[in-house]
Parts: sequence; structure tokens; C-alpha cells
Amino acid sequence: MAVLLRDITLGQFFPGNSLLHKTDPRYKIIIAMVYIVSLFLAKGVLSYALVLVFTFAMIIFSGIPLRIVVRGFKALMFIIAFTAILNIFWTKGENLIFEYKFIKIYAEGVTYAVFMILRLLCLLTGSSVLISYTTSPIALTYGIEKLLAPLNLIKVPVHEFSMMMTIALRFIPTLIEETDKIMSAQKARGADFTSGGIIKRAKALIPILIPLFVSAFRRADELAVAMECRCYNGGKGRSKMTKLKTKPLDIIMLLVFSAFTAGIILLNGITLF
Amino acid sequence: MAKIELCGVSYVYSSKTPFEKKAVNNIDVAIEEGSITGIIGHTGSGKSTLVQILNGLLEPTSGKVLFNGADMHAKKTKLSDIRFKVGLVFQYPEYQLFEETVESDIAYGPKNMGLDKAEIEKRVHDAAKFCGIEEAILKKSPFELSGGQQRRVAIAGVMAMTPEVLILDEPAAGLDPQGRSDIFGGICEYRRKTGATVIIVSHSMEDIARYCENVLVMSKGEVFDYGSCDKIFERSDELEAIGLDIPQIARLLRRVGEMGVSFDKNIYTVGEAYRSIIPFIKGGGGSAS
Repeated sequence: MAVLLRDITLGQFFPGNSLLHKTDPRYKIIIAMVYIVSLFLAKGVLSYALVLVFTFAMIIFSGIPLRIVVRGFKALMFIIAFTAILNIFWTKGENLIFEYKFIKIYAEGVTYAVFMILRLLCLLTGSSVLISYTTSPIALTYGIEKLLAPLNLIKVPVHEFSMMMTIALRFIPTLIEETDKIMSAQKARGADFTSGGIIKRAKALIPILIPLFVSAFRRADELAVAMECRCYNGGKGRSKMTKLKTKPLDIIMLLVFSAFTAGIILLNGITLF
Repeated sequence: MAKIELCGVSYVYSSKTPFEKKAVNNIDVAIEEGSITGIIGHTGSGKSTLVQILNGLLEPTSGKVLFNGADMHAKKTKLSDIRFKVGLVFQYPEYQLFEETVESDIAYGPKNMGLDKAEIEKRVHDAAKFCGIEEAILKKSPFELSGGQQRRVAIAGVMAMTPEVLILDEPAAGLDPQGRSDIFGGICEYRRKTGATVIIVSHSMEDIARYCENVLVMSKGEVFDYGSCDKIFERSDELEAIGLDIPQIARLLRRVGEMGVSFDKNIYTVGEAYRSIIPFIKGGGGSAS
């Protein structure tokens, strides 16, 4: 379990100096959306080839080690396998390639499953490379706050939401570390998390969860006091030390990704066979 | 006889990743049975990793850990048994309390050992007594207690397993002087009654000098020195170079010594100092030792 906890890549930021790192977080959120929409537009071998090449290029440009990106797949292995199996067995088509009693597998099902796997992997890679790996949590929440700013007009507390998000992201590693510590401490008192039936295992989690909740509440309380001591009273009249300004790079990035979408739509129109 | 022996033990965190970090490196140490050993070292010197290796929570990347002469990580040894025999109290142990009452929290360890009810109850009460926890508190929720009381409950939770080796990582950190001496008093009492081997990690040279026979000095993941208090504190300049110190009273007496009045060089506690200074003053000066 401790190993599993460390595999969570959510909110994991790899400092760097690539063009993707330098892109304005507001633009990055927008291009991530453009990228995701393009993924779902892709149909056919050619457009998928473009998606793969483009995604791969994105990883290379970001300077994030390929190994790290692949490690992120582990967490989604189950969902990917599940969708693939579902697609293989449940898609009906014209070219039957395998039949055994009630199991029928069609060529279309297999193709569809392969596309589905590629789509999920690219979705995960693209969004994590664009957002979590190359954007610091602070920049990310600032970007979200700015993008959602128009909602302020209809009285949505955008600043408070983004502050909540910043704090939540900030405390993920802290709480993981805390969980590790508490687990070790309970193991030292003979706790056993790895044997027994499901009920016994669930019960074994109580000695971890209770101290974890207690300390999360304590931390929240202390943080609130510390923020108040520094005169935090919400977003009103609050300014930032560094203001986001659109740079030529941001426009270029947006254009590159728009070109990518256009490319996919074009390639969708061409049939190979 | 050596109770726990480390032979060439190294431990690497996040091995084979960009975050790889050598925590301890090539450690050879033998902890004598029944001794009370202090571990000192700068923050990040590998003390906390070392204590987790000592009770089998971490398996060394290389090297062997012998407990009572047998390899702790051999296939046939059950690690959970080792953990019951080598009790480890973590830093700030009060953050691991979880039960509804103090009593059942202390009973958590013995319950995991599979003991019968009467034995568990006896151990809970014994451990509570060592740690100065009154009977009335046993029925309370651990979350209504003060920080110092919570700390004592957590330590009692480990003592209740009656480990042959008791390891405490910074047991008195953040407590007031009264709380400190209560906790150390309890530890000494436990050792006297059970003959257990005790290992204490501390940043306070005063506490180490007062309660420990041997000192293990860690620096940058390696053993800097290991020996009796006298032998270790003699190297005060070198200790300072690795970010440590000697007890304040020893520092004071050394300064006095430089000024021409020499006391016994091996005085590290206020009590000993008191016993040598008073006769000196009453004697009206001259040589003290």
C-alpha cells in the first residue's frame, strides 16, 4: 500500500525549463481542453497516428522522463483493461474472427478496443504532461482562478474555490507522508494490513484512518489560524506578486494545438483503404 | 552478549529513481544486552532510518541485522514476532492514538500479539504504571488528554508488549522539563523491572549524558563514533564540527578549567557537577579534583 501511495502522480510537478513549462497556465488549461477534444474527434488510422506522434513530441518537448510518464499508467491499468475487454466482447460488426459458444469477437471490436486504449493512454499522458507535470500547483490554481473570473459576476466565490484547491494540492504529499508514518507506527505495534479476509483488512485500516483524520483536522485548524494571523480575509482586494501576461509563446502554443485539431479533422476525411 | 547486531547495513530510499537517497551507509554496530544506548546525530543523519531497521520495519538494502544472534530477515523468522520483541516508539507517538479509551489503545499491541484477556489487562495496568498514567485516566478518551499525557499513553502502548528491546525516537521532544523527566523516569523504571535493552534517540546531550551508558554518534548516514559517554564527549571539537554539542554543564566546566581551576573531566550532568563544585567552594578554592 505504501508503494501504491507513492505512485499517485496527481499534483506531481517536475520543475523544468521547457517551452511547456514556460507557457501561461491559463493557455495551458485551454490547450489541454483543445487537445482532449481533438482526441475524441480522431477516427481512423491516420488521425490516430497523428495523435501518437503529437503526444510523443509533447513528452519529448516537456523534458519529462518517459519512465515517469509510463509509471503514471499503472494507476489506470485496471480501467484501461476493463474498457478494452468490454469493447472486444460487446462490439458487434460484420467480420467475425472468433466464435466459441456465446462468445463472439468481431474485427471491429478489436480495432475499437485498440483505439480506445490509445485514446485513454493519450488522454492521461497529454493532460498530465500539459497540466500536472509542467505546471506548479500554485500556477495552476492561479490560472483556473483567472479563467473562471467571469463567474464572479454571478456571485460564484471563485477565489475561495481556487484557494481550497491550492490548499488541497499542497497537502496531498504531506498527508501521504503522514499516512506512511502512522502505518509504520501501527506496524510497530503489530498491526497487519496484508493478511486476512476483506472485513479483517478493512478493520485493520481503522488504526490508520482515525489518527489521519484527527491530524488532518488539526492541520486545517492550525492553517486557518496561521492564515488569519497573516490577515487573510478572502479574495477581496487581494493582489498577486506576479501577474499573468499573454506572451507570444502562449499564442504560438495555442496555434500549434489548433493546427493539431485541424490536422485530425482533415485526416479523418481521408480513408486509407 | 550482543542483543542486536548490524553488519554492514546500508539503506537506500527510492532506489533507482531520480530521488534516490542513501540514508544509512555500511553500519557495523553491536548493541549489548541490557545496556542503555543513546543515538545522537544531526537532522538527516540517518537516525530515524536506523531505528526502523533495528526493529525490522525497514529491510536493509544490503547487510544483515542479527537479533539474539539470528538473522532478522531470514525466511523462517516471522517479522511480526521481532516487532513485538523490539518495541519502537516513533517521534511524536501521540499522533497514532486511535481507540475510544486510553485502556484499549494501550491494549492494541498486546491484542495483536494474541494474548488472553487477563494477561492483556495485567500488561495494560503495568505499562500505565511505568508511564505514570493514573487509573482514572484509563477510562477516558485519549483525545481529551494533554499533549504530555497523550505521549505517555503512546509510550505505554509499546511498553505493554513488554519488548526485550525498547527503542524510543525523541521520546521527550517538545515537552516541558517535568514532562521530560517523567518520561525518562518511566523508561528507566521499565528497564529496571524487566532488564530490557533500551535505545534512545535524542537531540538533547543533557538527556543522553544523564540516562545513557553508551552513545552512538551518526553523521551523514555513517557511524561517526560509538562508545561510552566519557569517550564520546571527550571529542567535543569534532562533535561540534558535525553539528552536535556536548552537555552545557561539561562546556562550562571546561571553560572554568581553561581559567585555571580544573575539575574532573568526565562530568556531564548537573548532579555530578554540583557534587564537585560545592566541596570546592566550601574548601575555599585550590585544586578541585
